[in-house]
Amino acid sequence: MKRPVAVVGVGQTKHAARRSDCSIPGLVREAIDRALLDAGLEHRDIDAVIVGKAPDMLEGVAQPEQFLVGALGGHLKPVLRVHTAGSVGASTAIAAAVHVQSGLYDRVLAVAFEKQSEGNTMWALSPSLPFTPPLVAGAGGFFAPYCRAYIKKTGAPMHIGPMIAANARENAARNEYAHLREPMTIEDVMSSPMLWEPIRYLETCPSSDGAVALVIANEEQARRGPRKPAWIKGAASYAEAMWVPGRDQVSPLAGKVCARHVYAQAGIHNPWAEIQTAEIYVPFSWFEAMWLENLGFCAEGEGWKVIDRGDQRFGRHLPVNPSGGVLCTNPIGASGMLRLGEAALQVMGRAGAHQVDGVQHALGHAYGGGAQYFAMWIVGAAV
Amino acid sequence: MHEPPADPVKYIETTVRLPYCYVAGDYRARQLRAFKDRKILGSRCSKTGKVFIPPLPNSPESFAPCTEFVELPDRGVVTTFCVVNIPVIGRSIDLPYVAASVALDGADISIFALIQECRAEDVHMGMRVEAVWKPDGERQGAHDDILYFRPTGEPAAPLESFINRL
Amino acid sequence: MTASLRNVAIVAFAQRPIVTRDEHRMATEMLYPVVREALAQAGVERDAVEYQISASTDYLDGRPFGFVAALDVMGSWPPRQDLHLEMDGAFAAYYGWVKLQAGDVDSVLVATHGKTSEGQPERIFNLALDPYYHAPLGLDPISTSALQASAYMARTGITDADLARIVARNRAAGARNPDAQLREAVPAEVLQRAPFHVRPLRESYLPALGETATCLVLAAEGVAERLCERPVWIHGAHHASELQTLGARDLSRSASARLAAERALALAGLASAAEVDLIELSATTPVEELILLDALGLDGRSPDGPVVNPSGGPLCGHPIMSTGAIRLGEAFRQLAGRAGARQLPQASHAIAHGAQGHCLQQNVCFVLGTERRWR
Repeated sequence: MKRPVAVVGVGQTKHAARRSDCSIPGLVREAIDRALLDAGLEHRDIDAVIVGKAPDMLEGVAQPEQFLVGALGGHLKPVLRVHTAGSVGASTAIAAAVHVQSGLYDRVLAVAFEKQSEGNTMWALSPSLPFTPPLVAGAGGFFAPYCRAYIKKTGAPMHIGPMIAANARENAARNEYAHLREPMTIEDVMSSPMLWEPIRYLETCPSSDGAVALVIANEEQARRGPRKPAWIKGAASYAEAMWVPGRDQVSPLAGKVCARHVYAQAGIHNPWAEIQTAEIYVPFSWFEAMWLENLGFCAEGEGWKVIDRGDQRFGRHLPVNPSGGVLCTNPIGASGMLRLGEAALQVMGRAGAHQVDGVQHALGHAYGGGAQYFAMWIVGAAV
Repeated sequence: MHEPPADPVKYIETTVRLPYCYVAGDYRARQLRAFKDRKILGSRCSKTGKVFIPPLPNSPESFAPCTEFVELPDRGVVTTFCVVNIPVIGRSIDLPYVAASVALDGADISIFALIQECRAEDVHMGMRVEAVWKPDGERQGAHDDILYFRPTGEPAAPLESFINRL
Repeated sequence: MTASLRNVAIVAFAQRPIVTRDEHRMATEMLYPVVREALAQAGVERDAVEYQISASTDYLDGRPFGFVAALDVMGSWPPRQDLHLEMDGAFAAYYGWVKLQAGDVDSVLVATHGKTSEGQPERIFNLALDPYYHAPLGLDPISTSALQASAYMARTGITDADLARIVARNRAAGARNPDAQLREAVPAEVLQRAPFHVRPLRESYLPALGETATCLVLAAEGVAERLCERPVWIHGAHHASELQTLGARDLSRSASARLAAERALALAGLASAAEVDLIELSATTPVEELILLDALGLDGRSPDGPVVNPSGGPLCGHPIMSTGAIRLGEAFRQLAGRAGARQLPQASHAIAHGAQGHCLQQNVCFVLGTERRWR
């Protein structure tokens, strides 16, 4: 019962530490207007709006999609709000694709945003759970120990994380929308302050304001153009419980299972050989090495070697995060959809200066929670 | 209202204040009360026998109820950790501090805990630690009855013994 | 838009009785027994259900990422296909229906949780308003409901006595519902003597804020019949939202509820909502009930026609985030013959409605039946 579904338009804002030139509605409209223009469509053509963003505490407005209905173009339309922690942008895009796949909707707008400069991000990400000691200081405070475990298990040299971070900036220089674009060297990273050892300041994602929107449509609309579409060949979102004894938090099972599911749907048997570029969710440098393993691009324990050889750099075998990724741009709610949207841009041939040559298949990936939520898709040039 | 303001209004600052009064739930409440007696309680899965701390009403792994409470020793091993250098609003811990995953002896999952009484550089994966409690008479049956964990000085536990309890 | 749809049914529904404050369980701990019970009703283990959706909101939970804790009590091991919506459970059930239409999975579990007793809902939902112009006015859901009530009464001439009668009818129904929070019938005259909380809404016309957890199981044809002797089939469903801006809409009407109902009825092949036997509405005030019946094309003052809120509705218990899921669950119970003392005889069609946002801003409508819709 599979109906072909495609991304037919992508729009994103210029991402920055603080977009003081627009309000939340303005930020969202910037992305939506660009996506609709890209797709050659108008608001009236959209059948439903699926919105995603991370915890509402980030802006201090509860259920903000409600006050944003006008800006979203959702008046008298179905509007749904997704929230799956860091992966939300991706799971939102996937939910939009499911709407079209169902046959009930022909053209759906997926929107994800965060204007976290308007709240206190560190506070919002450091939940003081009742009855537990308040120790977690930001997302990095939660994930840093698992990066340490990865380094210990694999014996990876300490320059790998900084190498990833420096490479991300080099990529971001080719992405006009990215937040952090100034180049930096491995030495710059290694001499920056430790935030949550072993993670340093310059290997950590920024806090950004930004939004992204995708127009997802059925085959008839996709073939109508004006753009070459990015066909969604496989897509899934998974989650796993937190307190499972023996849960692997360095290479979570939910990530592996989700990837296998998506590869099977897309007919991918050898990711390293059959995927030409991957936008994967790397908020702290070491995750790039960890996710290469989790996603089956290389054997377990070998992810850092891919980095060391430079095989994931722009122009090499598998450019990873040619957009600069989360390390250079992180409006939390939007980041997941930026990964999936950038993967689509690559297939559509619309990635400008960071276009990878000859992309037949691209992977977009995101994760969230205590590395519990995983959402990803494979987009392809052929239906 | 006469003239518009000379400078455009660009920002509105509001403070959000929301009070919450949380229910601990019977399982957690029992664990907290036991802290008064310097006891650490976990709960055991009725299907697999695995022990969870803090005590959970059901096992997230087997989906079976946890019907039995189990007392655990107040010592264990640092499975992994990080050294925190960032301040957070409303927190008073001196920086830098070590936030660690600690797997108590007998527990199948670990807890997040503060490590003190040692230099941050000396903390290592596998380090054996013990709880430091508030003195008798000062414990209230709250999470801070355990002030922090400190190294016991015992030899480090081998990686295999805790790598699955991160 | 294609019209060839899969037949999808509700095959199980479980909820905890709605209480004012559960002193023994955290919000997600309330969910565990209810998921177990729903699966037991369907006669399957957790592994048999392929997709899960949870519904809740961080602000009620009082912490960012509050919904993540639900994973551990829903049986999320091994890893499950999953989604979470920051919306009332009825909207999550709608997405579950859409997911089943997409054809990759045949069964969906929808879980809702939320405690209204731990925070202060009037402050929390004040923060859901436009932060520039509405929230600073200090409006809360009762005040905005009162604005809507004023608008409706001004347009239609409905009286205070009319409102009291509607509440009395709901309260009498709730007395027969062991899961309701308020289970005592109260005569209209007594309700009409309660002081005004915000005119024109008396304290007695306001919903009882409560808490619970619920779990629904949906399944596609071919699987549904194995999980339930009398599956309740979804004949049509749709939802719509409208602008929040209070001054930009006719508060005396719900345009989005009308749209949702019209499309749901059209899919169901029904000419009118009058053709169903019962309607479960997420109406938190008697005025909302009238506005929603209006939107359904029915006259709320007419004694004939479908029975409205045989469960007692949100006036007898409003566990925010679960209220809409319970309307679906109650419709399921009625059509599956599981409604106990409040069972309507020979009910074969029902409408279940969910809503959220100030002044019925977002509405979802399901049309259900005891027979399959498409052959």
